[in-house]
Amino acid sequence: MRKNGVLEETSWEEALDLIASKFKEATPQTFGLLASGKNTNEDAYVLQKFTRAVMGTNNVEYCGRLCHSPSAAGLGPTVGSGVMEISEIDIERADCIFLAGVNLKETFPLMTMRVLRAKEKGARVIVMDPRNTASARYLGDIHLQLKPGTDAAVLNAMMSIILNEGLENKEFIASRTAGIEELRQYLSSLDLKELEEISGVPLETIRDAAMAYATAETGCVLYDQGLNQHTTGADNVKLLASLALLAGHYGRPGTGVNPTRGQINGEGTGDMGCLNVFYPGFKRTSEDVAKSFEEAWGVKNLPVKPGFPYTVMMQKVKFLYVVGTNPMMAAPDVNSVRQSLEDLDFLVVQDIFPTETAQLADVVLPAATWVEREGTHAWVDRRVQKIDQVIDPPGEAKPDWWVVCQLAERMGYKDKFDFSSSRDIFEEIRRCVPTYAGITYDRLSQAIGGIHWPCPTEDHPGTPTMFVQKFNTPDGLGHLQVVDYKPPAELPDEEYPYVLTTGRSIFHYHTGTMTRRTPKLNDEVNQGFVQINPADAARTGVRSGDTVILETRRGRIEAQARVSADAPPGLLFVPFHFAESCANVLTNPALDPACKMPEYKVCAVRMEVKQ
Amino acid sequence: MKGDMCLAWSSDEAIREQAECGGAVTSLLKFALESKRVDAVLAVKARDGNRYDGVPVLITDPQEVVGAAGALHSASPNIARCLKEYLGGASDLRVAVTCRPCDAKAIIELAKREQITLENLLLVGLNCTGTLPPVAAQKMFEEEFGVNPADVVGEDIEDGKLAIRLKDGTEKERDLAELEEKGYGRRDNCRRCDTSIPTMADLACGKWGAVDRKATFIEVCSEKGSDLVDGAGEAGCIHVEQASDEAVETRRKEYEAATELARTWQERDFAPFKAMSLEERFDYWFGQFSQCIKCFGCRDACPICFCKDCWLEPDRGFVLGGEIPPEAMWPMVRAVHVMDSCVNCGQCQDACSMNLPLSRFIFMLSKEIGDVFKYEPGMDVSVLPPCKIVTDAELSVEGVEVVF
Repeated sequence: MRKNGVLEETSWEEALDLIASKFKEATPQTFGLLASGKNTNEDAYVLQKFTRAVMGTNNVEYCGRLCHSPSAAGLGPTVGSGVMEISEIDIERADCIFLAGVNLKETFPLMTMRVLRAKEKGARVIVMDPRNTASARYLGDIHLQLKPGTDAAVLNAMMSIILNEGLENKEFIASRTAGIEELRQYLSSLDLKELEEISGVPLETIRDAAMAYATAETGCVLYDQGLNQHTTGADNVKLLASLALLAGHYGRPGTGVNPTRGQINGEGTGDMGCLNVFYPGFKRTSEDVAKSFEEAWGVKNLPVKPGFPYTVMMQKVKFLYVVGTNPMMAAPDVNSVRQSLEDLDFLVVQDIFPTETAQLADVVLPAATWVEREGTHAWVDRRVQKIDQVIDPPGEAKPDWWVVCQLAERMGYKDKFDFSSSRDIFEEIRRCVPTYAGITYDRLSQAIGGIHWPCPTEDHPGTPTMFVQKFNTPDGLGHLQVVDYKPPAELPDEEYPYVLTTGRSIFHYHTGTMTRRTPKLNDEVNQGFVQINPADAARTGVRSGDTVILETRRGRIEAQARVSADAPPGLLFVPFHFAESCANVLTNPALDPACKMPEYKVCAVRMEVKQ
Repeated sequence: MKGDMCLAWSSDEAIREQAECGGAVTSLLKFALESKRVDAVLAVKARDGNRYDGVPVLITDPQEVVGAAGALHSASPNIARCLKEYLGGASDLRVAVTCRPCDAKAIIELAKREQITLENLLLVGLNCTGTLPPVAAQKMFEEEFGVNPADVVGEDIEDGKLAIRLKDGTEKERDLAELEEKGYGRRDNCRRCDTSIPTMADLACGKWGAVDRKATFIEVCSEKGSDLVDGAGEAGCIHVEQASDEAVETRRKEYEAATELARTWQERDFAPFKAMSLEERFDYWFGQFSQCIKCFGCRDACPICFCKDCWLEPDRGFVLGGEIPPEAMWPMVRAVHVMDSCVNCGQCQDACSMNLPLSRFIFMLSKEIGDVFKYEPGMDVSVLPPCKIVTDAELSVEGVEVVF
């Protein structure tokens, strides 16, 4: 607890009493909670229930907002569900794999193994990435090295070529999709030469990619932040899904358009309803849904209106409860985030290490890590798996759900949070989330590799492949989307001549909370760096190892220069793991209107060598 | 005495029931504890009864030995590494270890490197015709045998067949070669393994030669082994009888057939490389290594790797940190440091997150070097590896602690 400006050790009793008394001062408008993609399902479920039932607000979000909100917004209208549609294992069955904006080798090594197995059997791999990443070099057969943020131009060109060549899957389009005429008409109005110019990818390369994907038996799209983290993220996802519909790559093992959520429970925390517009089970906030949960939980006045999205929440609320997430590193425009967090009346941070966000907190609560507690996770491919407690938590650390139940009790909701184990919570989840209804702890302890939701009944085997018969849209059809290319919100100019893009290194994980505390990993890469194309470096006199100053309209950082042909001319790449070279001080908080995703991947930046 | 061949079975009916082949091994281990010949037994046990999750267990209570009875074909725990890392190399603990041939070989190689105190060990070797990768095995049982993997209570690999026994007593078998063509069956390294009988251990125990009798064929490979068998016999823990010439001959033929099959696999796996020019070989392997993501899985799994301060770490300044794939020195150092002593345990390949055929690579090199130097790793603790792994120059690098 912060006493006289300093964080001092205290007892659980005192900390929980203080938090409860402070939270009692909050109103539904002034309270917010940020959950994590690393919580268990059980943790996430009680976190959102606490926010809704005790605090009376839908102001509950998690880092999924900052990674896969465009998946929901893009795949929703197109195919009905913003989730991975196949089992991860079935990637091995694909004969063409399209890695769209995902540096799979550095961000999803074990999925890379599936791709390698598919390649062994002859699969071709298309990589769409502005950088010549390890994935482009060692996995890719075709590299669509586009200008950042021009994904829509490339995808429209691919679809246009497929239609021009007559390679679309006519039978699939006729029986399972809607909107082909509008799409055909729109695409025929586009000038491929112009798209080539916008994207910077030679038309021949786009053609190769289009042909490889369209003529494949089993085409698999895996995509991630490179596609999502734009003000046009949802548009980009719509186009990818339209491309897959056009080629008929849906509804069979190894096909689909698959978001690669990177956190262990990136899927599950969303399933559990830690989103401002969704109650558990992706039930959109409404009178009816609120009413059904009032009955299920035995409470009154559940919130109906959507809450604030992640980045807005930090600016609007006065009481913020942050669990297992680190906005001081992860959110865009960190200087503004700091201001918002400092302006709060009360900030609680619950995590496994004292993060940059925890440094600003009034109370910091120690959480148990995954090996120190029991629970379930929903893996990237909707596969629910059980984890068992292996060791006791260190010191006073507790499972997240336990803390929430203690707080609920102090706020007069003991009977609604009367859980003595994660199993108790899971039983309530099964009653509230139809896709989990058939999954039990006992089944999970027997099932090899877990059970894929939807699993409606206890005798249901689970659903590794979705959309086999129909899509999850109201009419069951896949809806082809017409989407215009729109440029990123902030492009280079004379003052800020380079494009800045952010991403990851394999040796670190997200905001470095864990990996920077792991000596072996920190020895591999121990400071923030910026990749600079050799031509740009030569022109500006930057050498590898120099400290350079990077500055955008929002802030400035220092980073070590790494001159590398991985970065194309005009592009600077900065990984976001390093607090001392915090990439998100620089990034643009402009949001995608469809899903409130900030544009992490493109902004204008200038660079100079530190003298 | 050393060289004896006998058939043995437990005098304890309960053990005979639980164990395979008459329970001689279980009774020998129990007797080793009871007679204070050892302080502990290191064996492999199914965790929570799950046959696909075999874990090493250290047993000090004689009554608990029977809990680890029976063979687990879908378990490949790293016994040698376990001894070194978690039991202090048995420097102050006398342990009876159940080990497959590759475990025994790895233990002996580590003993040569003074990482394990062989004098404190009693190596109870178990014949082995291969182990199955646990996840693929379950899939195989479902898809190829049409059974629930949880119902399988025993497996057997013999005469080119993989046979399984179910809870209800039914038995099913499939042709091993056909399964392996489909990518199922034994681990890659096991297919190539030509050492089914662990004669480098103190005892080599198995069912070959026991024919249909509920008994274990034991070859006594050392005086220490002889002392255990004699003691257990005299104490009435096991019944021992000399193996008939016929039994010995049957066993020899079985071993010959298994070795023949392994040589076929070696030929099949190595021939394409031998047919390549040096340049092609180089391109192939560096193509493979270009997929390396430097997870250190192979190094951490390899029972031969033992340096406390590793050349591959970025702080050694030998391989540049923070890059994938790591530069060429990375796989080269890995190979050079272990290839004269590879015991073909397959742990590196099991650990590889990029699925690279590492065991094939290192074992092939090991075979070639072995031919040159007439050296077979893991057979005799008194014969040191031919390529000196650590040079005098390395030993004098500051801050490096190497016991050799």
